[in-house]
Amino acid sequence: MFTEVLLALVVGGVIYFLVQRSKRHQLKSEDGWWGEGTPMDGEEDLSIRPYTVRTDDEELEDLYRRIDQTRSFPSLEDSQFTYGFNSHYLQKVVTYWRHDFDWRRQVEKLNKFPHYKTNIEGIDVHYVHVRPKNVPEGVTAVPLLMVHGWPGSFYEFYRMIPLLTEPSNPDDIVFEVVCPSIPGYGFSEAPHKKGFDSVCAARVFHKLMKRLGFQQFYAHGGDWGWIVTTNMAQLEPKIIKGLHLNFAPPSKPGLPVVLSIMLGRSFPKLFGFNEHDIQRIYPVVQNLVVESVKESGYMHIQATKPDTVGRGLNDSPVGLAAYILEKFSTWTDHDFRNLDDGGLTRKFSLDDLLTNVMIYWTSGCIISSMRFYKENFSKGLDQPHSKMPVHVPTGFACFPNELMHTPKLWVQQKYRELKTFTPMARGGHFAAMEEPELMAQDIQNFTKMQEKRK
Amino acid sequence: MQTIEVLKQAISSLDPTQQQQLLVAGSAVAVGGLLTCYYWVYQGTKAKRIPIGGGWWGAGEKPQSEDEKVFPFQVQTSDEEIQDLYDRIDRTRYTEPLEDAGFQYGFNSTYLKKVVSHWRHQFNWKKQIAILNKYPQFKTNIEGLDVHFIHVRPPHREGQRVLPLMLVHGWPGSVYEFYRILPLLTDSLDSLAFEVICPSIPGYGFSEAPRKQGFNSLAAARVFHKLMERLGFSEYYLQGGDWGSLITTNMAQMKPECVKGLHLNMLTSKLRGFGVLFSILIGRYVPWLVGFTREDVRRLFGSVGFMERNIYEIIRETGYLHIQGTKPDSAGCGLNDSPVGLAAYILEKFSTWTDFNNRDLEDGGLERKFTLDDLLTNIMIYWTTGSIVSSMRFYKENLKTNIDNRLDNNTGVYVPTGLAAFPNELMHVPQSWARDRFRNIYSYSYMPRGGHFAAFEEPQLLADDLLQFVKKVEKL
Repeated sequence: MFTEVLLALVVGGVIYFLVQRSKRHQLKSEDGWWGEGTPMDGEEDLSIRPYTVRTDDEELEDLYRRIDQTRSFPSLEDSQFTYGFNSHYLQKVVTYWRHDFDWRRQVEKLNKFPHYKTNIEGIDVHYVHVRPKNVPEGVTAVPLLMVHGWPGSFYEFYRMIPLLTEPSNPDDIVFEVVCPSIPGYGFSEAPHKKGFDSVCAARVFHKLMKRLGFQQFYAHGGDWGWIVTTNMAQLEPKIIKGLHLNFAPPSKPGLPVVLSIMLGRSFPKLFGFNEHDIQRIYPVVQNLVVESVKESGYMHIQATKPDTVGRGLNDSPVGLAAYILEKFSTWTDHDFRNLDDGGLTRKFSLDDLLTNVMIYWTSGCIISSMRFYKENFSKGLDQPHSKMPVHVPTGFACFPNELMHTPKLWVQQKYRELKTFTPMARGGHFAAMEEPELMAQDIQNFTKMQEKRK
Repeated sequence: MQTIEVLKQAISSLDPTQQQQLLVAGSAVAVGGLLTCYYWVYQGTKAKRIPIGGGWWGAGEKPQSEDEKVFPFQVQTSDEEIQDLYDRIDRTRYTEPLEDAGFQYGFNSTYLKKVVSHWRHQFNWKKQIAILNKYPQFKTNIEGLDVHFIHVRPPHREGQRVLPLMLVHGWPGSVYEFYRILPLLTDSLDSLAFEVICPSIPGYGFSEAPRKQGFNSLAAARVFHKLMERLGFSEYYLQGGDWGSLITTNMAQMKPECVKGLHLNMLTSKLRGFGVLFSILIGRYVPWLVGFTREDVRRLFGSVGFMERNIYEIIRETGYLHIQGTKPDSAGCGLNDSPVGLAAYILEKFSTWTDFNNRDLEDGGLERKFTLDDLLTNIMIYWTTGSIVSSMRFYKENLKTNIDNRLDNNTGVYVPTGLAAFPNELMHVPQSWARDRFRNIYSYSYMPRGGHFAAFEEPQLLADDLLQFVKKVEKL
């Protein structure tokens, strides 16, 4: 009798334990309010207002005057881009900016897609909303949300949008695309209160999509966009039909990741490592530790003193350009640090790069964009969402020169329903801007696979 | 032969237990003897100095001969320069701070506007320049760089002994940090006074910036030795904090015969090594066992614990070190165009490094220990010389190779050393840890108040401690 009771208790306990573990934890989040002062009583403003990017002579004259009064400082001899943005090449970029870059023409280009603003949780959220023009009979366009990162903006997606909304291949899916600006970035208002982290951004974007009438949609992101869309999938897994990412560093290296690092070189097949994986991971200390330390100074200071480090950049357009464009050089390929021109124009045009910088300059958002780092890191790296796995179908595009390389095994630790993992032929951190065709194609492949499952 | 026989007989006459005891005792003596021999040999061969080396930092190729003249120098300004500053200040594009953020996100923009308003309307740069120029200043070319320095000789007083002393500043400071302590050292009625040299580190203020890579603290140490030599000094005292602490330490390691005494107000510890780690673990409970005083325990552990006070605080406050140690050109570029940006960046340190609690204040507690005029004069030195980028590069030059493995980090300091431990310094290093490196500590003082910018904030306390240390060395 006694032993039966004991056995029942033990079995019961084990079942309870197993059930608890497999129960899918859902991320919880409370409403916030980010406007100035206290929220006013009354109805929330749900209106959607069309928005046009504008400029005027005054703005341009002020920019040119500041550029003309730049006090440059020569780089050390033979230092290329190893101390940061090289002064000689910076001079060339700035000359182009001053005399050849046509901001008015770029503004027209920005406005070729419709922009809107709407007030959510007390702040105006900006987004681009592109409805496809030619949708075949009996087909509805698939809604897709694309979220940018730092130091990028919605503009990174501009070359990709036509490939998604007007695909040349008749078998391809036609998308309806929404590209918001994270609050504090570009034309979205910056939060006035402390605490606006990626989960808050995720909740705000869910509200946005609901307000636009979408019950379900796909989401794509890289850099901060990765965490924000991942949080969206964790908050409302039933609403996110599919999650597509090009950046997913492991937030909590568990046993499989650690083991793979220790044994992966000797037993690559065991962990599913291919040659590229081996090359990017080993030697471990050099690639994972030293490189990270070399490149994460910006993250360290932005996560601790954003108001200090951004202060000068909001007055000095050249300083802002140097700070931001250094990333477009180094994060596209680490070897670019050893080039006199940082390899900047090998993958991007100066017009595109400067347009992105101008979005930061004209909106004056550099400080608020940096605060996002502090909001996300200051509570520690042990946030509930970083420990929670993701159970939404996921597709991962693995670009060879991404900042942090993640082999399939590592991505699978968090993304439990990894449907596609594509080693891409070329490209770095700013993949959407650098290789829009490759990225669009991978999004197509992933979405097609998901849609067929219905 | 015979002695062995006698010994053998003596041993065999003992009973087994006694033989065992003898064996144990004998082994202990042997092992102890071996260890002592090894330690003695090791200590003997451990380097007591570091090589002097050489360098050339000017643009292009090194010329045949070096120009050794010493030129007088005066700080100057023009209406143009001041007007340009005002234009830029007037065109600052402010960003509102987050509500209730104090100084936690960096320099608070609301308070920044007040500082800038004083700068724009009350601060008198011409008057400050007159103050700067009240001490004679010079420049001389060493290893291809024009090195700026202040040279103050005390007025002649009967019976007063005068000793040469070099004070070295750090980042984001300058020679101006020493302007409050200089009169206490050079113009006192004490039996001892100092003839003081305050150089600007190359790349800072009025000293020319290196054009070539690799100018680290060892290079600065060598350049400063050459400076003293050129001025005719063969023996001198050194005092430093921040980078000045490392540079003067290197100077003591390079030419110990020239350094009569080394006085520091900032130390760092590697936080490595069995002794240090062991003392962290048990030091709170049995301080006397690991050589901690009660004051050490209070400063290391405080009310928040070791990890919080030392590790987490350091992580929170070293973002600037990380970015300056890797991408100085990117970090400094914007600061050279925006005087307000430069002020915010630099003054944040004068707030936080004076007292960590200042981060919770709306005004960062800035004017509690410093006047705005003094703070802005320091900023103006960085602004008018455009030296912010080169000042930041010093971090990369020192940190780009693993500093732990650098020769000077593994070499001891054998000159008479005096250490002044200020309570709000970034990191507290107890004497028991300092002894690892500093083998000849003459004085270790717990200062009653003061933070990182000790000379600027508490000049009397620092001067007093320096004086008592020098008197000890001089046996006065």
